[in-house]
Amino acid sequence: MHSIQPHGISPAIDMQAAASPRTMIAIENLDFFYGQSQALKTINLDFPERQVTGMIGPSGCGKSTLLRVLNRMYDLYPGQRATGSVMLDGENIIDPSTDANRLRSRVGMVFQKPTPFPMSIADNIAFGVKLHERLSRADMNDRIEDALRRVALWDEVKDRLKSSAVALSGGQQQRLCIARTIATRPEVILLDEPTSALDPISTARVEELLDELKRDFTIAIVTHNLQQAARCADQVAFFFMGELVEVGSAGAMFTTPRQKRTQDYITGRFG
Amino acid sequence: MPTATSVNAGLARRRAAANLAATALAYAATAVVLVALASILVTLIGYGIGGLSLHTLITDTAPAGGHGGLLNPIVGSVIQVGLATLLGTPIGLLAGIYLAEFGGRSPLASTVRFVSDMLLSAPSILVGLFVYLLLVAPFHHFSGFAGVVALAILVVPIVVRTTEDMLRLVPVAMREAAAALGAPRWRVVVQICLRAAQKGLLTGILLAVARIAGETAPLLFTSLGNLNWSLSLNREMASLPVTIYQYAGSPADDWVQLAWTAALLITAGVLFINIVARIGLRGQNRS
Repeated sequence: MHSIQPHGISPAIDMQAAASPRTMIAIENLDFFYGQSQALKTINLDFPERQVTGMIGPSGCGKSTLLRVLNRMYDLYPGQRATGSVMLDGENIIDPSTDANRLRSRVGMVFQKPTPFPMSIADNIAFGVKLHERLSRADMNDRIEDALRRVALWDEVKDRLKSSAVALSGGQQQRLCIARTIATRPEVILLDEPTSALDPISTARVEELLDELKRDFTIAIVTHNLQQAARCADQVAFFFMGELVEVGSAGAMFTTPRQKRTQDYITGRFG
Repeated sequence: MPTATSVNAGLARRRAAANLAATALAYAATAVVLVALASILVTLIGYGIGGLSLHTLITDTAPAGGHGGLLNPIVGSVIQVGLATLLGTPIGLLAGIYLAEFGGRSPLASTVRFVSDMLLSAPSILVGLFVYLLLVAPFHHFSGFAGVVALAILVVPIVVRTTEDMLRLVPVAMREAAAALGAPRWRVVVQICLRAAQKGLLTGILLAVARIAGETAPLLFTSLGNLNWSLSLNREMASLPVTIYQYAGSPADDWVQLAWTAALLITAGVLFINIVARIGLRGQNRS
């Protein structure tokens, strides 16, 4: 998991050009329904390993729905169902025989609004870890410290790990939620508009963090902020009315979109 | 546009006046409630404090003029209220959890919710009669246990309602966040939702304690009251509310005095439990 990536080499070298990465998640012919209404139509999309895939599109286009398929979040609600295949390591994760809780230990998720649990900072992180692993107290403390260091929160909270997480600022809470997710050592991290409730400085910190995290994790991020997609994503997917209109590298998508709908959206003509 | 300006100024004045009126009404309503509450407390303390002495607290009830105290009703009330809370709270919590987390709008949940709300507003004397038929008449004698059951039946719907309401206030996002970490449903409920709602749940339980601590009607047909010292749940058991009921209308001045003191003790007891529980909870949240 903590493999060493050739980081810090000339930024001029495009990651995708440098090495064609393995596909982490492969979506084939995915349809999704909220009861009778279809929210996703025949989606085909690959998520390259250790890259950031940005998902953009107007409200209600299905981008968040797709994110919630990737960790089977829709399972919580009767009436929502998906058909097709979403392959993760040769396993179709939307097949009911795939254990949803084990899947969620491999595919973590960070939400729009920070959701600290009503417990201490340390317990917030330990909660997720304890669901899947039995660690000694020392190992758990190491895991907590490691996770907090990786989201650059350690120095801010190391003296009050036992105090309530709810007292943290919004930006700190969101970084804690990211720490909580990476502490369970997933392979994929899903982020659903993770900065839309944050101020610009906190947003910048989370964006920097994404750059760090993609060394170890495959990341899918839904965002309304096109600049954010351009800054953070390696690959961008544009959704419109339940369809995947266009997918390509961030550079190509924002400079030379192939589809008219994409161009209209990124130039601000709708959405 | 001068006309627009004057219209806007008029509108602003009307709004300011409406705002002032609404604020004044809100303050007035608050004042009415506070005055009523303060008047009750002042009267209670004024009349009750006279009979409050160590002697009252450590002496059993005695015939009028016999220099008695309130020991057996105090102990009887503590036992019956305590056991009724222990009996009714788990049932109420579990039913409330079912309604909020699992039942949804299913026919069973709707029925449970309806019955619970009916019970909440049912006259407590009916609950007393119900338990009389169930646990007193068949055994041909009154008992403290019957009193406990009657009070527990009053606890359940209060705890059900507050538990369901408080759990529904827990944000969906928090449940999803816990589920997204791979937590099974029961862990989400027990470790996240109940914890997030714990303050509200405790408030519900305390509300129930306060309610049953002053209930007289359900005990009249069940534990009856007992002039003598007894700890047996199988026999008649004294309680403060029933003692108040018996003493308050008595021609004997010392009994009337003890009735006031008993009322003061119930109020002070409920207040004390509330304060202790809140301090305890605050300490827990800080850790």
